[in-house]
Amino acid sequence: MPSTAIPPSKAQPVSPWRSLAPAAQAVSRVIDESSERLGRAAAWLSFVLVLVVGFIVVLRYGFQIGSIALQESVMYINGALFVLGAGYTLKEQGHVRVDIFYSRLEPRGKALVDILGALLFLLPAAVFIAAASWDYVAVAWRIREGSPETSGLPFVFLLKSMILVLAALLGLQGLSELIKSVTTAYAARSDQWSAAPADGKRTLTNPEKSMKLD
Amino acid sequence: MPLLFFVVICGTLMLGYPVALTLTGVSLGFAGLGLSLGLFDIIYLELIPNRLYGILTNQNLLAVPLFVFMGTMLEKSRVADDLLQNMAVVFARVPGGLGLSVVLVGMLLAASTGIVGATVVTMGILSLPTMLKAGYKPSLAAGTLCATGTLGQIIPPSICLVLLGEVIANAFQQSQLNSGVFAPQTISIGDLFAGAIIPGLLLVCSYAAYVLLTAVLRPQDAPPLPAEEVQALRSGNQSLALALIKGLLPPVFLVVAVLGSILLGIATPTEAASVGALGALFLAATKRALSLGTLHAVSLETLRVTSMVYLILVGAAVFSSVFRGFGGDVLIEEVLVNLPGGTFSALFVVMLLIFLLGFILDFIEITFMVVPIVGPILLAMGVDPIWLGVMIAVNLQTSFLTPPFGFSLFYLRSVAPPEIRTQDIYRGVIPFVALQLALLLLLALIPELVTWLPGVLG
Repeated sequence: MPSTAIPPSKAQPVSPWRSLAPAAQAVSRVIDESSERLGRAAAWLSFVLVLVVGFIVVLRYGFQIGSIALQESVMYINGALFVLGAGYTLKEQGHVRVDIFYSRLEPRGKALVDILGALLFLLPAAVFIAAASWDYVAVAWRIREGSPETSGLPFVFLLKSMILVLAALLGLQGLSELIKSVTTAYAARSDQWSAAPADGKRTLTNPEKSMKLD
Repeated sequence: MPLLFFVVICGTLMLGYPVALTLTGVSLGFAGLGLSLGLFDIIYLELIPNRLYGILTNQNLLAVPLFVFMGTMLEKSRVADDLLQNMAVVFARVPGGLGLSVVLVGMLLAASTGIVGATVVTMGILSLPTMLKAGYKPSLAAGTLCATGTLGQIIPPSICLVLLGEVIANAFQQSQLNSGVFAPQTISIGDLFAGAIIPGLLLVCSYAAYVLLTAVLRPQDAPPLPAEEVQALRSGNQSLALALIKGLLPPVFLVVAVLGSILLGIATPTEAASVGALGALFLAATKRALSLGTLHAVSLETLRVTSMVYLILVGAAVFSSVFRGFGGDVLIEEVLVNLPGGTFSALFVVMLLIFLLGFILDFIEITFMVVPIVGPILLAMGVDPIWLGVMIAVNLQTSFLTPPFGFSLFYLRSVAPPEIRTQDIYRGVIPFVALQLALLLLLALIPELVTWLPGVLG
């Protein structure tokens, strides 16, 4: 994506971020929107999961029919539910934080923690998972690995590929979160210096929200 | 090195970046450091893809999304609302009646939805204003609500027990293989469910007894509802008994069906959970609370919780691989085995560690990070796996209540009116934390309270 330089306003220092910001924010918007759509679509998989397992139960207890393929399909649905929802959950701030100190930070402090986290933890983790799993998945593809059971589903190579999908979705959404945090951090800083409105209006969607399962 | 690693992890977690990602990131950083110093064997990193695949294909954890779906669906179908009203009317003349009705409805919600946040919030919104209006001491009202909300952790079916069951079952096999038993005994999530029933009920009784005792000894702290309030709560012309039965029957039936089929070994937790989820759908439909929008909202919530839990699993898998790579498990074993006082002090140290970690981490993280490391060691020392699982579950449940960072307290704070001071909430939970610790002590003295029922059923 071409990044056309925007002349910096007089009151503020020139920084590389100023020229990159519009393009970066466009990228972030595209990623956010994709994660949102993917997550909302993938959510139906949880309903499908309920139906399929329910169906298995009816077949097994009602008709004494057991199907290994059907049983295995549940694994695929559940795996897809987790993997396809990973980016969305990250975007929605759905991952648990230890927010003893975090919840008391100013928006700028939160943004800084998130920038550090994205650069030091999330993005390296995504790269590592992708790199470490590449051969593992490649081997599965080469032999078109299927189920160890004879009547099972022949798609184990696809199931293993989900590890790469997970790394990709986490990495992309991580990039978007990074862009948004940098925007927030800059906006907070320029607010301190002048009343000039921040160029990026978008901030963290739900900075306060951190969901808990319990 | 492993100790430094653990300390750095805990320190970094305090920054507040999502736990799952912090675990992965810091572990990889340490692995890189260890590799460059020659302290770490790369084989531990190479095993990680296979562990991730193991997470994706784990059969037992399938129960998690299904139970979340069931619980969220029941919550959306508003089973709690009428129940709380009708119970309050029934107990209107008993001392502490309002408090008792909260405890009883809380127990039912714990067994059916099992979601602490949802239970505390629902009951906080519905019951707290009524209790305050009746003249309850704010700390007693707040403490009862917070404590009752956490029952979902210990009363089966609960997500906490599913996760612990999975981890303990693996640890049990591991410990037997380590000591050369090649046809190991197994335990199941169902065993843990069975083991938790009596302790869960004991806890309910002790909460109820505390409320009752307070109401008798200090009636001004828990006065009965005024007669006109009782009248106002009585819904329309329906007879009370009928209304109560209509409200109670569906969720009770659902819980008995789900739990019964698991305990009797008829169905696996996953299968029972799917039936429970379908039952919850049906219940919501009969209460006219089901729409495409609700269905999608419940599905989306399920997706979020599932992704959250599984990502922590991924982080914990990376963490424990690296921790083992540094010889951390061997170190911990040496420390625990060589403690003066043998098994008892090893157990005590582990329980204390979990209790303390509970101040900063939540139960999922502790279950996946700590239990796989200490579990096999304790089990090899001869500790009963089901008993250990239930002890850890009660311990983790307590961490929801301990000020200042118990999550139950946060949830109540978020819905409590401003005249309830945060101090009131903190002060109110202290007696309940004491009851929790008393239960732990009791279970330690009489392990049969846990092990008897699984033995009878198994």
